[in-house]
Amino acid sequence: MSWGELLAHEIKAIFSNFPILLTVFGGVILYSFLYPLPYSQQLPRDQSVVVVDLDNSAVSRRLIRMADATPQIDINRYVYSIKEAQQAIEEDGLAGMLVVPRNFYRDLLLGHSPTLAYAGDAGYFLVFSTVIEGLATVGGTLGAGVKVLHHMIEGKTLITAQQQYSPIHLNLRPVFNMTGGYINYVVPAVFVVILYQTLLIGVGLLGATQNEKDAMGEKGYWQHVPGWKLVLARSLIFLVIYFVLTMYYFGYSFDYYNISKLADPIELIQLIIPFLLATSFFGICIGLLLPRPELVTVVILFTSLPIVFSAGFVWPLNMLPVPLLDFSQIFPAIPAVQAFLQLNQMGADFSQINSLWLQLWLQTFVYGVFSLWLINKKRSAGIKKVLAT
Amino acid sequence: MTLFQQLRREWGLLITDPWLRAFVSWVPLLSFFILWWIFSAAIPRDLAIGVVDLDHSDLSRNLVRHYDANSVLRVSNQYESISKGSMALRSGEINALVVIPSKLKRDVITGHPPQVTAFYNTQFLLTGEVVSSGLQFAQGTFAVKIDIVKAMMHGDVLDQAIAAAVPVRGQITSLFNSNNNYAQFLASAIIPAFWQVLIILVTIVALSRELRLHGLASWLGNTPIKAMMAKLLPYTLILWVHGAIFLYVMFVVLNWPMNGDWGILLISQLLTILASQAVALLVFVIVQNADLALSFAAAYSAPSFAFMGITFPATDMNTLAQIWRDLIPVSHYMQIQMYQANHGASIETALPQMGVLILFFIGFPIAYQWVIHIILNAHKSDVHSARAGKA
Repeated sequence: MSWGELLAHEIKAIFSNFPILLTVFGGVILYSFLYPLPYSQQLPRDQSVVVVDLDNSAVSRRLIRMADATPQIDINRYVYSIKEAQQAIEEDGLAGMLVVPRNFYRDLLLGHSPTLAYAGDAGYFLVFSTVIEGLATVGGTLGAGVKVLHHMIEGKTLITAQQQYSPIHLNLRPVFNMTGGYINYVVPAVFVVILYQTLLIGVGLLGATQNEKDAMGEKGYWQHVPGWKLVLARSLIFLVIYFVLTMYYFGYSFDYYNISKLADPIELIQLIIPFLLATSFFGICIGLLLPRPELVTVVILFTSLPIVFSAGFVWPLNMLPVPLLDFSQIFPAIPAVQAFLQLNQMGADFSQINSLWLQLWLQTFVYGVFSLWLINKKRSAGIKKVLAT
Repeated sequence: MTLFQQLRREWGLLITDPWLRAFVSWVPLLSFFILWWIFSAAIPRDLAIGVVDLDHSDLSRNLVRHYDANSVLRVSNQYESISKGSMALRSGEINALVVIPSKLKRDVITGHPPQVTAFYNTQFLLTGEVVSSGLQFAQGTFAVKIDIVKAMMHGDVLDQAIAAAVPVRGQITSLFNSNNNYAQFLASAIIPAFWQVLIILVTIVALSRELRLHGLASWLGNTPIKAMMAKLLPYTLILWVHGAIFLYVMFVVLNWPMNGDWGILLISQLLTILASQAVALLVFVIVQNADLALSFAAAYSAPSFAFMGITFPATDMNTLAQIWRDLIPVSHYMQIQMYQANHGASIETALPQMGVLILFFIGFPIAYQWVIHIILNAHKSDVHSARAGKA
């Protein structure tokens, strides 16, 4: 069979297989809108907070107004005891509480450093950190104001006093995702995983569909072509399809969501190619191992949550159990997520992602060889009989 | 066939299919374990940060030691220039780069507060948050110590010195997860999200067995309701056992806080399974193709976790996201689980969500109507072919 005929057969097999089309094109396009959807607001705002003001002084009221004015906090209601505040959180799902103690104003004036109590629902970490950030900022501002006042009483000018409320300042500067937005955090990593998963399922479905036909004794072009030729033709076609889809993600979608694209396009392509090849070859192996197409979707989908959370963008890699970290290295998505984030989101040099890049090429090689071995084994022995129980 | 015979037949199908058998036995248990294992360290520690110390004084070295002493942080490297440090930040080798200005010590002594700049990586948002609060804390205690020493040099007694350094104290309480345990926070929601995918996929895999055997019409026969019940019920029970297992492990073995009612949780799980099975059955009878049904089911259930509202609050989602969220049974279950386990809330707070889960049951009668349609069509085509045969 000539290359032209083989490619034509493969293209026809892909484009006449509706589940493959649905997964590859439908999945990639649907997810490009669906996955970022929950995070469209980027940051949580106006978390409902209940206030217990036991002081009820001018200063406490000012403090509460300041809290309400922060973007993080929305003062939802006032109650008279901590018990009632707790009830508001438990029954109505409020996000946090602020307690101003009795004699707060007096203690502040007397220099007794009174204590403000902040509480947040730590069942939701982002809610918690938003509430605490808002409340602590207000508390800190009040404290700094008091210090400035003290310095001025000591005879310093306002400007000196303002500079000297702390002996040493910390200027915290977020980088790479400067607004701390959730879309900028989730999308660049999850999109790599989506490309990986849908490509893997697409390639796997094609192989497993043909296994099923083999088992039913049907004849097909894939049974006679040399194994290496079949593997190359198949991965070439998927490479072309996914190259376009990857460009859609990294180009159009990233622009649409205002996600930074720091990588040089040529360097990005240099990374995309081994990523897509390693994934295609891996998919061909899965397609050869699983006897029925429906198993492909199930098996691959079961691995999706573990892969997302082992990829190091949610949970730091140095916190992963070592055996798990080592085992996860066999999945092309794992080095790919880190490499794409470093290159495109964090502006690393290509030389810095070299080891990840080589890992993807190594996976390409290993899965390529493994797929050839599987094809030969399947053809010479009755591997399908063993697995198609 | 009686329902009992049908159930026995289904059991036979299940135990003779090694793949399906794996999907309802060790595969979910292994997956639950891995999803917990990922976060088993529970609290991030020793996150690498880098320092550029341009001052090289005893004070700046003391500050670096303060960072390193914080349990969350680890000063993994000191860089001689900002550009070298920034390279390390870009490659993810360090999570933050702290630049200590020259003349730090002189400025502190002469009362011109110097500014230390810390660049922290927010691409890894969660890690970035932890690092930034660690830095803030370390720096804060350092500043207070300096203030206290200074005040005491002016002749203040310790109490006065502390009050001058910290005019307002803040006491932070984390409700419902007192030591900010990430395993409890994430795994307790990721595992139900996985379970949601499992319910939908297992149901469709079990149904598709009939397509491969003799087709839907012959399976449904004259007793479609019994056939469907016998098909779904064994998996309802098995998946319920899985639900109970992860609850038991989370709240008993791992001892995560559980202030609620076990009965409410278990009933909600049952409702979640039935709601999901209704959706899966409906998708399956409509498309009548195993691979296609699975592709739809995958697209539908895979993003469950993102819409649960655990990492990003549901109240901050837009209307479209809220609608999609409402269409996924496990979002409603998760809300019940959070309210029960964390808040120990009353049954009244769970009823609305339970009601929504029951609304999903509308999928069963719709699927039944569809099935009748399938049987009639099959019947018609039989008649047609019979006639064609006669002619």
